[in-house]
Amino acid sequence: MALLAQVLLNGVLLGGLYAIMALGLALVWGVLNIVNLAHGAFIMLGGYLAWHLFTDLGIDPFLGLPITAVAMFALGYVVQRGLLNFVVRAPMFNTLLITFGIEVVITYLAQLAFSADFRTINPGYAGNNVKLGSVIIPEVRFIAFAVAIVLTLGMWIFLLKTRLGRAIRATAQNLVAARLYGVEPRHLYAMTFGIGIGLAGIAGSLYGAVSQINPYIGAALTAKCFAISIIGGLDNPLGVIVGGIVLGVIESLALLYVGATFGDVASFCVLVAVLIIRPSGLLGRTA
Amino acid sequence: MTKPRLAIVATALVVLLLAAIPWFGSDVVVQFGISTLLLAVLAQSWNIIGGYCGYPSFGNSTFYGLGSYGVAIAMAQWNLPFAVGMCLGAALAVIFAFLLGLPVLRLKGHYFAIATLALALAMTAIVSNVGIAGQNIGLVLPPLNNDFLFYELSLGLLVIATLVVFWLTKSRFGFGLIAIRENEEAAAVMGVNTTLYKVLAFALSGLFTALAGGIHAYWITFLDPDSAFDIGLNVKMIIMAVFGGPGSVLGPVLGAFVLSAISEVLASEITTVAGLFFGVVVVAAVVLMPRGLADLSRRFKSEGWRYFANNIKNYRL
Repeated sequence: MALLAQVLLNGVLLGGLYAIMALGLALVWGVLNIVNLAHGAFIMLGGYLAWHLFTDLGIDPFLGLPITAVAMFALGYVVQRGLLNFVVRAPMFNTLLITFGIEVVITYLAQLAFSADFRTINPGYAGNNVKLGSVIIPEVRFIAFAVAIVLTLGMWIFLLKTRLGRAIRATAQNLVAARLYGVEPRHLYAMTFGIGIGLAGIAGSLYGAVSQINPYIGAALTAKCFAISIIGGLDNPLGVIVGGIVLGVIESLALLYVGATFGDVASFCVLVAVLIIRPSGLLGRTA
Repeated sequence: MTKPRLAIVATALVVLLLAAIPWFGSDVVVQFGISTLLLAVLAQSWNIIGGYCGYPSFGNSTFYGLGSYGVAIAMAQWNLPFAVGMCLGAALAVIFAFLLGLPVLRLKGHYFAIATLALALAMTAIVSNVGIAGQNIGLVLPPLNNDFLFYELSLGLLVIATLVVFWLTKSRFGFGLIAIRENEEAAAVMGVNTTLYKVLAFALSGLFTALAGGIHAYWITFLDPDSAFDIGLNVKMIIMAVFGGPGSVLGPVLGAFVLSAISEVLASEITTVAGLFFGVVVVAAVVLMPRGLADLSRRFKSEGWRYFANNIKNYRL
């Protein structure tokens, strides 16, 4: 029983991190209709940025989040405005391919710049635990979880309440109508992509604090983000929290009960099942 | 001679020329030829489901893996001849296409792409746990040192796959697929049995992919789950098909030849950054010629260099 509780807790903590990883992908997908295959690579870049801030400048990974977020936002804005913008209205294959190409380029540049070694961000409190009954809560994981959940909720409020957030949602619903109401789509698309990549940067910093990063983790992370976005649905940031936690718990349970190699099988089977039964996601409105 | 007939004669001449390569080419050339021809088969098979039917499959690497494992299990575990293995692999792929095609082909666009991607990822893990498939250690096939045979087999397979795609442009079935790609509801209203057509296209695509996988397995003589069900290969076939021109008869083949040649040259000239340049080529190709080589060759004559600028103008926001 204690083991089960511990596994469930691990799954939930992992799920919070998954949520913020997928949030940027879901946002870009929902608004720009681009499935960004390079999303995982941007998460990886964020992780390295946080790692360098920590090892070279001694900035704590959690305190360094604003720096990473702003830098990655700027990168995202430039990539959208200077590159993706040229193919936004092209068929779906093309947007998939161009982001795949960007993924390849980022991965290779990262390998040249950071070498292929595994890196972990190890602040002094990395090994600290809190005991709650028979369950152990690793401090770093809990902080990462809390930050991820708070930011995801913040994103939700941002999309609901602010002028920019409303413009983003309007564009996602109907580009032509949004344009008629004075939304400048090129700037708005770049802002949205920038926010998505900024979130990827934050997710990468948190990921680097609880796990290991190397230049090749991007593709697998993208696949996970896909799964989470689908399970949670695209039109609501709260969906990503549900999707992330569902995936995290399923993976942890599968690891315990079926064996290590089946962790991914379980999550992908759930993904296919959700797709077939409810293509708009668990929380999504039916299309 | 009329223009289409000229094209057919020219294509036949190129095929004969390609068939003659093993007689005067070096070992390296023949080996490069085999892998390029097999990639061209993969791009052409993807063209059936992705290019003609409009369903962006990321599950074709599953068919490839099933074809490889069909041959490997038949030869390494049961000591059966290669031909039987090919039939086994093809049968597995077609059955898989029917069973999973029915639910998955109900999804559209990105959703279909991701469902097939998830299936492909799940297959890797499932096969790693199947005893007869050698689990995650893999299988070793009896070696056959006959690159000539593998080359001609691959070329033969490519010719058949291309003829089938050519038949699509002339037949009721092919028109049905194109109708589904353009507007599925309208196609259904016009009397196209969309479910049947989609599943058949998926199975046909899977059949050729599996046969290519079988040839590759016997040629390499070793396979494990990670290489047999490699998602990267699926991305490669899509890139080749889209680079060449999806929904055209010769585009994907051309795309496979050109991209293989580029990556081969890059790999030998600038080994360390070859992958980087490959990524840059893909990005540039999508921006400058989003409809592939086939469209470039058709429209470059009339539009000249403005062709590239027009593409950007058409698709940018």
